[in-house]
Amino acid sequence: MSIINKLRSMFSGSADKTHEDKPETSQVSMRPLMDEVVAVEEPPASSNSEEKPFKEPEPIKRTVIQPPIIVSKESAETVQTDEVLIKAEPTLEGDQCKFMVNRDLIEGNSWYFENFESAEGSSLAESLFSVDGVESMLIQESTLTVTRVNKGPGDWLPMAKEIGAAIREKLEAKESLISKTILDSIPSEEEVRSKIQEVIDKEVNPGVAGHGGNVQLTNIKGNTVTILMGGGCQGCSAADMTLKMGIHGAFRKALPTVGAILDETDHKAGLNPFYS
Amino acid sequence: MPKLKTFNVKIETGDSGIDEPVQFSVNGFKVPFDNVKGAAQPGETMEGSYEINSFPHSLTLVGPDKGKWNIKKMSVEYNVENEAPYSITFGEITLDETNEANIWQDPPLPTFDV
Repeated sequence: MSIINKLRSMFSGSADKTHEDKPETSQVSMRPLMDEVVAVEEPPASSNSEEKPFKEPEPIKRTVIQPPIIVSKESAETVQTDEVLIKAEPTLEGDQCKFMVNRDLIEGNSWYFENFESAEGSSLAESLFSVDGVESMLIQESTLTVTRVNKGPGDWLPMAKEIGAAIREKLEAKESLISKTILDSIPSEEEVRSKIQEVIDKEVNPGVAGHGGNVQLTNIKGNTVTILMGGGCQGCSAADMTLKMGIHGAFRKALPTVGAILDETDHKAGLNPFYS
Repeated sequence: MPKLKTFNVKIETGDSGIDEPVQFSVNGFKVPFDNVKGAAQPGETMEGSYEINSFPHSLTLVGPDKGKWNIKKMSVEYNVENEAPYSITFGEITLDETNEANIWQDPPLPTFDV
């Protein structure tokens, strides 16, 4: 049998098969080892590129926060005297002037007089609208903010003196400053809250959401509302326009008896404020 | 925005203080205070000043790199160009490695009696 097998293998060309098999088997057995080596070597190569041992650590991006400001300035309101004291503070833009009086003009509430017609029956507002150049006014407790027809910078002193004299005259005469109709129409805080919240949810927030912004109702005192602008609205260059042209209009349309609308947003804070 | 010539700070530390030097950041540059007196340890008061001579687009007090710094009260006195010096007092705040406090305030609006 072995001679026949030898002859067969000689003529079939597989004479050295047994010798060839050995190297083949040894190559096969080496392949997994090679794979292991490659598999072991690859991860350190990739991890080296990620770690970069000599790379400087990324600086931490800090959030800018605004500490509360303690007002120590003695205002006209804090001075206790029978005399009517009025301080005028024009805004930087020059379109408005705030008058701070050392007594209440409307107790616990606020009222916005849009024009002369809206002042009917309110002696103070009627008197102030007779001053040349007054466009509208907002009375909030002991503060009166007057907007003038001529926008932009300009000396407020002559007009402010006229307004101051009119306020003093009405206060010294101890007249009723705001009409009874207005005082009776001031809504409850609950009514203000529900209506304003509804406007925020249905009109304001869907509108500002397109710019990544949001508006929250943070406080209600009488018919005075305070809001907070967040997201893309905080520090946005158009925040003031959004507030005056959009939010004020929407609030007053839904609730004409709403008083002052205050924005307590710190537009200088945040990561990328325009107002810094 | 007026040009800020110099400013001084007086910081009263509350419950938790810091060992590291107090730094502020002006227009993104972190700098330690000059003329430092006192410390920022709990219950202590630290004073410092700096000559800026520039427009402060941002002026912040930088939080510590480690731990928390509880500031009970802080008053800042600003010396600006073409304006009378004015000071602002800030209330309680806690700083850490993630934040910094804005300490720049524009000069108060002028008021007059009418």
